[in-house]
Amino acid sequence: MPRGRRRTELLMLAFAVGVVLFAYANVGFGLNGKLPAGLAEYGLAFAAIVLVAHLAVRKLAPWADPLLLPLAALLNGLGIVMIYRLQESGRNGNPGVQISTISGSTTAAQVMYSAVGVAAFIAILFFIREVRVLQRYTYTLGVIGLILLAIPAVLPDSLSEVPGTGAKIQIAVGGFTIQPEQFAELALAVFFAGYLVAKRDVLALAGRRFLGIDLPRARDLGPVLIAWGASLLLLVFESDIGTSALFFGMFVAMMYIATQRTSWLLIGILLFVFGAYLASKLFSHVGARFTEWLHPFTAANVFCNPTPAAHCVSSYQLVQGLYGMGVGGILGSGLGHGQPYFTPLVQSDFIMTAFGEELGLTGLMAVLLIFGLMVQRGLRAAVAVRDPFSKLLAGGLAFAIALQVFIIVGGVTRLIPLTGITTPFLSQGGSSLITTWALIALLMRVSDTARRPAPQPIQDEGMTQVVRAG
Amino acid sequence: MNRALFRLSLACLVMFVLLLININYVQAFEAGSLASQPGNARTFNQQFQYQRGSIVANGAGGPVTIANSLPVKGSAATSGNTTFQRHYPGGAAYAPVTGFDSVYGATGIESAYQKYLAGTAPSLTVHNLISLLTGKPKQGATVYLTVSPKAQEAAYQALASDGGHDAAAVAINPSTGAILAMASVPTFNPNRLTTLNGTKFVKIDNELLANPAQPLLNRAINATYPPGSTFKIVTSAAAFSTGKLANQNSTLPAPQPLKLPNGNLLNNDGDETCGDGNPPVIEAFWLSCDTAFAGLGIKLGGAELTNQATKFGWNDANLTIPMPVSPSNLKTVPDASLTGMTAIGQYNDTVTPLQEAMDAAAIANNGVLMRPYLLESVQAPDLTTISSTTPSVLSTPVSASVASEITAMMIQVTQNPEGTAFATANSSVAGVEIAGKTGTAQNGINNSGLNDAVFTCFAPASDPKIAVGVMVQGGGFGADAAAPIAVKIIQAYLGVH
Repeated sequence: MPRGRRRTELLMLAFAVGVVLFAYANVGFGLNGKLPAGLAEYGLAFAAIVLVAHLAVRKLAPWADPLLLPLAALLNGLGIVMIYRLQESGRNGNPGVQISTISGSTTAAQVMYSAVGVAAFIAILFFIREVRVLQRYTYTLGVIGLILLAIPAVLPDSLSEVPGTGAKIQIAVGGFTIQPEQFAELALAVFFAGYLVAKRDVLALAGRRFLGIDLPRARDLGPVLIAWGASLLLLVFESDIGTSALFFGMFVAMMYIATQRTSWLLIGILLFVFGAYLASKLFSHVGARFTEWLHPFTAANVFCNPTPAAHCVSSYQLVQGLYGMGVGGILGSGLGHGQPYFTPLVQSDFIMTAFGEELGLTGLMAVLLIFGLMVQRGLRAAVAVRDPFSKLLAGGLAFAIALQVFIIVGGVTRLIPLTGITTPFLSQGGSSLITTWALIALLMRVSDTARRPAPQPIQDEGMTQVVRAG
Repeated sequence: MNRALFRLSLACLVMFVLLLININYVQAFEAGSLASQPGNARTFNQQFQYQRGSIVANGAGGPVTIANSLPVKGSAATSGNTTFQRHYPGGAAYAPVTGFDSVYGATGIESAYQKYLAGTAPSLTVHNLISLLTGKPKQGATVYLTVSPKAQEAAYQALASDGGHDAAAVAINPSTGAILAMASVPTFNPNRLTTLNGTKFVKIDNELLANPAQPLLNRAINATYPPGSTFKIVTSAAAFSTGKLANQNSTLPAPQPLKLPNGNLLNNDGDETCGDGNPPVIEAFWLSCDTAFAGLGIKLGGAELTNQATKFGWNDANLTIPMPVSPSNLKTVPDASLTGMTAIGQYNDTVTPLQEAMDAAAIANNGVLMRPYLLESVQAPDLTTISSTTPSVLSTPVSASVASEITAMMIQVTQNPEGTAFATANSSVAGVEIAGKTGTAQNGINNSGLNDAVFTCFAPASDPKIAVGVMVQGGGFGADAAAPIAVKIIQAYLGVH
């Protein structure tokens, strides 16, 4: 009889909360040698949020994977700690330079977003008792996803552009901003899963054989071309290269899971490379990203070049992030001892470089491994579940986390060209945090389904007469 | 579908492995080159936010702190972090040793031992880690030098009061190679360059760079001068080592004048005859007869002279103390007449003051030349020694018996009433028996310029404790201009009057 392992989860959660509180206290000691303000308030709030999540899982998904929630809590908590550290830089008499893009209440807001994220997490576990019910809403969610994606593109720049980045990805109303594309990720994942489960037999049909690979029939190329075109549109109208790569990658991966055809994977990769090349030639802001990646230290590329221009080459942020990681070295400067304020918008896309600077290579590797473990648990749930829709959705979502981490961490560490995208759980901002909590809820629901023991048939042997054939 | 999921997890694994490899590359391997990128404000700011290690002159008369970092008053209140500024209590006297550490880089010991002083040396990693864990502020290691405050200050005072000549002096402990003094004038006050204001620094630095007197040049190791007659030590060494001369009493022809193979005539200084015209080598040496040694050099040949000089440490472009030392040059010339001029240090051979001291030190140490060095030890902030210098042999230019022949000749230079340095360096003047050799190199077109004065010596002659090389550009006679400076250094170091 399999066990629910909720006690294991509670123990791991206590450990995660302990690590987060220790790190938070460490920030205060690092900055001014005192326990930080708000240790009790934030600490209690965070522990309470996590505890509520745990109790909800006990009630709503008792068979779910015991590791996913502690991993999510640990990352969320470390994100809050780093945002607090960045908020305090140069504030309240602490050393460092004040970061103008962070306000004095950013940490409080992030804790609040965490609460909303966990509320979304619980709501999903409450309302969606089986992931496969979502299959009914395949096309509805597909349309919702596209609308969410399209909103910022049709809004005027003043409402939709993230200041200073040129990316039109948000809706700003009265000082409050949301990034609808974050929510679109989940809606589209459901749409992809539903669509591919329905069409996978057709898509898996072999066409011509070429170089040992079964190519699909030309008429089946439609969906992949549409997804490709949609992500290119996203790139063109919203200047959001990272998200477009993420969505396209997720789609191709799910197509591969559904059909098991390597040819789809190859076609996807080829289309992506071709699209990226085309975009780099056609759109100066994409080409600029390549120049920044290849020659970040060339003096002319560090500051906006040519100036003034809307989409200039400017590797300043990338270079500052790398300097921070370099100074951090193997063990890091320690929380509160570094100078992450040199990196513009460090609390957002570049938050991993702040971890690299203050916690060093050691800390950065640990954070990456937490992400890796999270992806592994998600994929495990996908493997274990029987229902093809749930399998496809869980596999796609788990892969999306891995790809998102790869795109942003690879970008800020100069492994690949930098494309702006949030770091799941860590980056400052509510939309991303809430979406990721919802994503974790879906994965946990899938793993709950997978691990739930089948109902036992009633066997009342005492009442059964065994008739022995004479 | 599970097969595809397994493959996809492999793809995820590959992505994470790539990220891990890349951050390892950035933070462990690329960190150094990132730190040295121009415009890296983090490293620029960081270097003044912890206490850099001190430099201590730990030779005789020490320990004396010659460089330290002190907190800037009020810096913690204004910027949140304590900022440290470099101070040089020894000022200009020690400038050729310490160099300076500034907002735009460092020179001298400050640059050569940057990794210890800044605390970034791999051997300090564990100490830094312990400080981190115990919450102590990061601190650099203390560098102890072999420099003797007594000898160094005497050298600087003697050079500075010499009337504005370009001059330098180096003193070595002959038995170890430890550098006891290294002074150079004109010099600079390193305290002027420690400002944390970049604009102010650039202004002062440019002013020093533009100064025609070249105050930033460390003449002791980075300027070369003609050795003049001090080269006769090398010529004699070659003659004894090759058997051209049996001992100090072997005679050699010393005509006045000497007709060189190219037909030119070489005269002795003041056109004086040298003894009876065929004197023993020791007499030619104390009188410093040019014709005798030029003739000897022609007999030895240029290759032999180069070979001997190289054994004394000349022509070595890789010597570091740890600052790189400019090579003293002696190139073989095919022309016999020019070889003759080389043998008396008057052709194109040039030498650093350090090399002059090394020549004497090798003779003093029974023919064994010790590698010159400045670093005595490095001490981590917790007072454990993390590095120290073990004296090592650089070369053996002559045998012990040849060394004793040359010692006897060098003693006569100061002790024989006819010796060139008798007046300025005899035992009653110096208070100690000095073995030395004067040099007066003629200068300028047709020797119209002022003579460069050179003196190389060691003392006490019977039990050498210090070897000194002194060079005074345009100083005049070696015995008059350079020898008194060497005597003052020796007196200060040995404590005699």
